[in-house]
Amino acid sequence: MNIIVCVKQVPDPQMPMASFKIDPATNKLVPTPGIPPVINGYDEQAVEAALRLKEANGGKITALSLGKELVSDVIKKPLSMGADELILLQDDAFEDGDDYVTAHALAAAIKKIGEYDLIICGRQASDFDSGVVGAGIGEILGLPVITIARDIKMTNGVIRVERVVPDGYEVVEASPPVVVTVSNELGQPRYPTLRGIMAAGRKQPTVWSAQDLGLDTTVSRMKLLKLYQPDKISQCEFIEGGSPAEAGVNLALKLREAKII
Amino acid sequence: MDIALSDNHLMIQRTVRDFAASEIAPYSAQWDEEGHFPAHIIAKLGELGITGLIFPSKYGGSDGDMLSLVVALEELAKVDSSVAITIEVLTSLSGPLLLHFGTEEQKQKWLVPMLQGKTIGAFALTEPDTGSDARGITTSAVLVDGHWAINGSKSYITNSGSSMTDFIIVAAVTGGDEAGKKEISNIVVPKDAPGLTVGSSYRKIGWRASDTHPLFFEDCRVPEGNLLGERGRGLAQFMKVLDGGRVAISAMAVGLIEVSLQMSLAHALKRRAFGKPLSDHQAIQFKLADMAVSVDLARLATYRAATLVDQGLPHKKEAAIAKLFSSEAALQAVDQAVQIHGGLGFMEDSPIARFYRDAKVLTIGEGTSEIQRMIIARELGC
Ligand SMILES: Cc1cc2nc3c(=O)[nH]c(=O)nc-3n(C[C@H](O)[C@H](O)[C@H](O)COP(=O)(O)OP(=O)(O)OC[C@H]3O[C@@H](n4cnc5c(N)ncnc54)[C@H](O)[C@@H]3O)c2cc1C
Repeated sequence: MNIIVCVKQVPDPQMPMASFKIDPATNKLVPTPGIPPVINGYDEQAVEAALRLKEANGGKITALSLGKELVSDVIKKPLSMGADELILLQDDAFEDGDDYVTAHALAAAIKKIGEYDLIICGRQASDFDSGVVGAGIGEILGLPVITIARDIKMTNGVIRVERVVPDGYEVVEASPPVVVTVSNELGQPRYPTLRGIMAAGRKQPTVWSAQDLGLDTTVSRMKLLKLYQPDKISQCEFIEGGSPAEAGVNLALKLREAKII
Repeated sequence: MDIALSDNHLMIQRTVRDFAASEIAPYSAQWDEEGHFPAHIIAKLGELGITGLIFPSKYGGSDGDMLSLVVALEELAKVDSSVAITIEVLTSLSGPLLLHFGTEEQKQKWLVPMLQGKTIGAFALTEPDTGSDARGITTSAVLVDGHWAINGSKSYITNSGSSMTDFIIVAAVTGGDEAGKKEISNIVVPKDAPGLTVGSSYRKIGWRASDTHPLFFEDCRVPEGNLLGERGRGLAQFMKVLDGGRVAISAMAVGLIEVSLQMSLAHALKRRAFGKPLSDHQAIQFKLADMAVSVDLARLATYRAATLVDQGLPHKKEAAIAKLFSSEAALQAVDQAVQIHGGLGFMEDSPIARFYRDAKVLTIGEGTSEIQRMIIARELGC
C-alpha cells in the first residue's frame, strides 16, 4: 500500500520559556540559537503508524513536509525511522500562507505524487495547534477523513481505524484512499536505528516549489493580527485552618465562591 | 581538515540523546548504587545499532565512521559512564581486534552476535603484577595436542563476567627467544572454557554499573584455532586498536565535561547567595568559563583525532593528546561542578556526585596519563 505522511517541523516544545521570543514587527517566532527545531510529536506518531502498516502489509511510505528553513538533519527523521522517500515543499511564497494554503499545497503535492491509499497526519501541530490541515486535505481532495486515531489497520482492502473518543474509542472503517489523523494514544514512535540514519543520509529529498505544483498561494483566508506571549501571572494563596479538616472546608468554600465547584 | 558534523552525525547525536534521556537517565543512579549491569540496555543499544555503528554492514554493522562513535559515546557519557564504557570496550577493543585480525569464522562466531547486541566481549591484558608495562605480562599459553593451555590471571577486565559476556580475548605469552624477548599472542577464550574462573565483581568507586572482574586461568583449554591473527603479534594488534580506543575514551571525557558545565550553569543561574544568583559572582563565572574552554578544546582534540582515523591518516600522537587532555580536563570539570553545587554536589541525590566518581578512571584506563605523555614524547622524537 502507498502511504503518504505529512510531517511538520516545529520549534522544540521542550525549550525553556525564557528562550521563547517573538518578533512583534513580523509577528514571527525568533529561532533560538542552540535549540534546534523538532518534528511535531503527533507527526512522529503518524510516521510510526505508517511504519506499522508497512510492516504488516508492505508498501511504500512517502513523507511530505511544507516549511521554511527546514533543518535537514531534523526533517530527515522520518527517513531515518524507515520512510522510503521525502518530499519537501519549499517556497518563499508559502511563507505567509495560512492553514488553508498549507492544506492546498499538501493536497496538490499529494495529487502530484498520484498513487496513494492512505494519507496520515498528526492530529495537530504543537506550534499553533490549529488541527485543521488534515481535514483540509481531505476536503480539498474529496476524501473521507477519520480523526484522532489510536490505531490504524488495513485488512482485505479496508482501512480500520480506532478513533479516540472521550470515554473510550470507536471503530471506523473506510475504503481507501482516506485521510487519518493520529493522536498520542497510538504509542511511542520508534527510535531511528543507526542503519536507518545512514540510509537516510544517502537519500536526497525531492524539493517542489509552488510553481512545480501549479499553485496559487495568494488564497490565504486568515490574517494574523498579533502574535504575542501572554503575561504569566501566578497567584498563590495558602488556605489556612485550625486543623487539616478545617482547612479542607475553607478550601471548598473558596472554590465554591470562585464558582469552580 | 574539516571537522564539521554531518547530518548523519547530528541525527545520531539526537537519537542517542533521546534514548539516553528516556531509557537510561531515570535508572542510572539505581544501577550505580546496586552495581547492577543493565544488560537489557546494552541489548537495546544493539537493536538501535550503536554496538555495530563503526563496523562494516557485512557483519551487521552500519558502516559509520569514528566521528559517529565519538558523538554517540559523548551522549552516553553525559548520562551514564558505565553504559558508555561497556559500549566503548566492545566497539573499540574486542570488536576491532576481531574485525582486523580474526578469521571469517571467528568473526561470524563472536563479532556478529556482539554487534547485534546479543553478547559482549572483553579484552584482557592487565594482570595483578603489570598494567602499563604490557610486555611484563606472565599469563602463558602453551600448545598441547591442538589446544592452548592457558595459565595465569588477569585484573580489572571490563565486560568479562556479565550475563551477556560471550568471550574474552586474552593476551598471553606463547613463547620467547633465547635473548629473553617474549612472544605475546592474543587468544579468544569463550566464557565457558574449562579452566577459566571469573572472580567476583570488583567494588569500584566509579563505573559501578559496568562489569569488571579478575580472571583466573588454570590449564584453561581452548582450540588452537582460537588464536587471533598471527602468533607473536599480540602486542602489535593491541597497539593498533588502542589508538582508536583512546579517542573513544576521550569522547567519554568530553561528555562528562559538557554535562558538568550544563548542570553547573543551570544551578548557578538558579541558586542564590549573598543576595544574588551564584552566576553573578565572578569566582563562579570564572569556573564556568574555564569549563566552557575545557569542553571546547577537549572536543576539538577528540574530533581531530577521530577525523584523522576516518581519513586513514596517522593519529597516534593526536589520540594520545586528546585522551590526556580530555581526561585531565574532565577531572577538573567534575571537581568544579561539585564545588559549584556545594553540599548538594557531595550527595548521591545529585548525579554530579556520580559524575565525580566516574571521572577518575579516565586518566587510568587504556593507558594512564603518564603513558600518554610517554607516547607523545616518543612521537616528538625523544
Ligand atoms: C575500571 C577499570 C576497567 C579496566 N578494564 C580493563 C580491561 O578491560 N582490560 C584490561 O586489560 N585492563 C583494564 N583495566 C586496567 C587498566 O588498563 C590499568 O589499570 C592501567 O593500564 C594501569 O595499569 P596498572 O593498574 O597496572 O598501573 P601501573 O602500571 O602499575 O601504574 C601505576 C602508576 O605508575 C605509573 N607508571 C607506570 N609506568 C610508568 C612509567 N614508565 N613512567 C611513569 N609513570 C609510570 C602509571 O602511570 C600509574 O600512575 C581497567 C582498569 C580499571 C580501573
